[in-house]
Amino acid sequence: MGAVDELEKIWYFMKRDMISFSTYKTNIAILVFSAVFGALSYAYLGQSSVNQLVIEKFHTNFTTYLIIGLAFNTYLGQALTLVQKTINPWALEEVLVSPTSLTTFIIGSSIWGFVWSTAVVAVYLLIGVYVFGITLAVNVLGTLIVLVLGIGTFIGFSMIGSGVLILTKQGDPVAALIPLATSLFGNVLFPPQVLPSFLQLVAYVTPPYYFFTSIKLILTGATLASIMPDVEILAVMCAIIVPLGYAAYAWCLKTSRKNGTLSWF
Amino acid sequence: MPSENAIETINLTKRFTSKNANEGAFFRRKTVTVNAIDSIDLTIKKGELFGLLGPNGAGKTTLVKVLCTLLPPDSGTALINGYDIVKQQMQVKSSLGTLFSVGERGFFWRLNGYRNLEFYASTYNVPRRKRQERIMEVLKLVGLENSAFELFQKYSGGMKRKLALARTLLPDPPVILLDEPTTGLDVISARNVRDFVKRTVSETGKTVLYTTHYIEEAAQICTRIGILKQGKIIALGTADALKEKIKNEELIHLTVEQMTQAQIDEMRALEGVIELSEVTDPTLMPEEHALGIKLKSVDMLPQVFDYIFERRIKLVNFKRDEPTLEDAFIELTKRA
Repeated sequence: MGAVDELEKIWYFMKRDMISFSTYKTNIAILVFSAVFGALSYAYLGQSSVNQLVIEKFHTNFTTYLIIGLAFNTYLGQALTLVQKTINPWALEEVLVSPTSLTTFIIGSSIWGFVWSTAVVAVYLLIGVYVFGITLAVNVLGTLIVLVLGIGTFIGFSMIGSGVLILTKQGDPVAALIPLATSLFGNVLFPPQVLPSFLQLVAYVTPPYYFFTSIKLILTGATLASIMPDVEILAVMCAIIVPLGYAAYAWCLKTSRKNGTLSWF
Repeated sequence: MPSENAIETINLTKRFTSKNANEGAFFRRKTVTVNAIDSIDLTIKKGELFGLLGPNGAGKTTLVKVLCTLLPPDSGTALINGYDIVKQQMQVKSSLGTLFSVGERGFFWRLNGYRNLEFYASTYNVPRRKRQERIMEVLKLVGLENSAFELFQKYSGGMKRKLALARTLLPDPPVILLDEPTTGLDVISARNVRDFVKRTVSETGKTVLYTTHYIEEAAQICTRIGILKQGKIIALGTADALKEKIKNEELIHLTVEQMTQAQIDEMRALEGVIELSEVTDPTLMPEEHALGIKLKSVDMLPQVFDYIFERRIKLVNFKRDEPTLEDAFIELTKRA
């Protein structure tokens, strides 16, 4: 066998992978977005104006701002992938042929993820308090309201993404894009007010911005009444996204069942 | 709603539409529609062990998935235990136990057998108080009682399939759908599964729809067999009835003593004898003849025997050449 034959083999290996890769179009788009959003997020995080903005808007230091952001970002990450994690196609088929409703299936499959996320959030906050000396002024009722609305919204997104995954079979665009968008617009790493004004507009239409703004304020001494405008917007978004997500998930599942592609992963 | 029939399909049809992948420009890919199951009318009585035979791609798995409500039919419907698979899905699901051909993949590998069944027992509404007892009962039924607390990932292929069978039986359903339950199993495990299914039907009166592409397996255990080809039932009946369908001619083998050549020629000329040939067999005694006779039908057999006995020819051996279910399957699928 000559070198040309070996090169031809290598070409066919690459061709095989290229054809397979090109069929996962959603995945390709996600990879491109990841690169763009990642670069922008870290570029803005390094800006010197961030610290000043945090003190002005949240009346706290940057460490507290960042730790709360990272801690509750865990919830977001968990919530966004919760429904997706239920899509083990074989187990999904087994559960769907049992007398168990879709609602029970989604809630049942999600619950452990939340218990675990809560433990992780607690670890973050404990480290923040005892290692970095951050100060939290917890308003229990306000925190619970914001959490329920935020988690509900993210589960709604999760259902949309999982539905898309069930249909496209590769790449959950929601679970991939929302964390990226959140890192840029969501008030997790830096206030979006450091962004150019046209990008700030994007932040004001995304639920993560209202969730992180509200949770950071309520945990650093703000009253529920003072954050009510942000909470109300979050509540409206939650009221739209949860039923929309459920309908999207149910429709995608139904379509996949109709097409007989449920177990095609 | 109680019914005499455990499974009844009425003009049941399921179509799949797909695009040819990888070939041609993205927007010009041809759409292909296939009737995976095509206007199936089938009735399976309570307590029957019904076999569904068919080559790969015949539509067996699709039929099972439609019956268990996983795939919605495009037209027609089916009744399971009297409940409509389209309108009464929850009642259908409560009446059924389904074993998919890759059923063991639905288990959780880092849980032991017992915990896996405990999870599925909850999804099948097995009463909480009876759950533990029922799990141990089905584990014992399939012979896994000693491996109940071993991790699923350590189970052998046969054990995994047994656990899948146990899960199917867990809710004690009156109707069981088994989709190729012995595929991929070694000979002994496959026989154990067959024996178990046969015993379950005879002892509990449950109804089983058993799909397989192993012909002799269906012949061994099923009371009735349907042959599926390209989504249509092309033949239906007991194994004997199916064999009978392809039997236009009767082939018999005789070994006789002291028969003259003239008598052989006379017999060849008998009405109903299509062909008579002398078979060379080195094990025969010098005075013996081996004859292969093809008759128009089995009804011609008495006149062959009359001829032999009237002439006091000694009959040493007689054998009818029976078609096997495999012959029937091949012939019937060829004809359809």
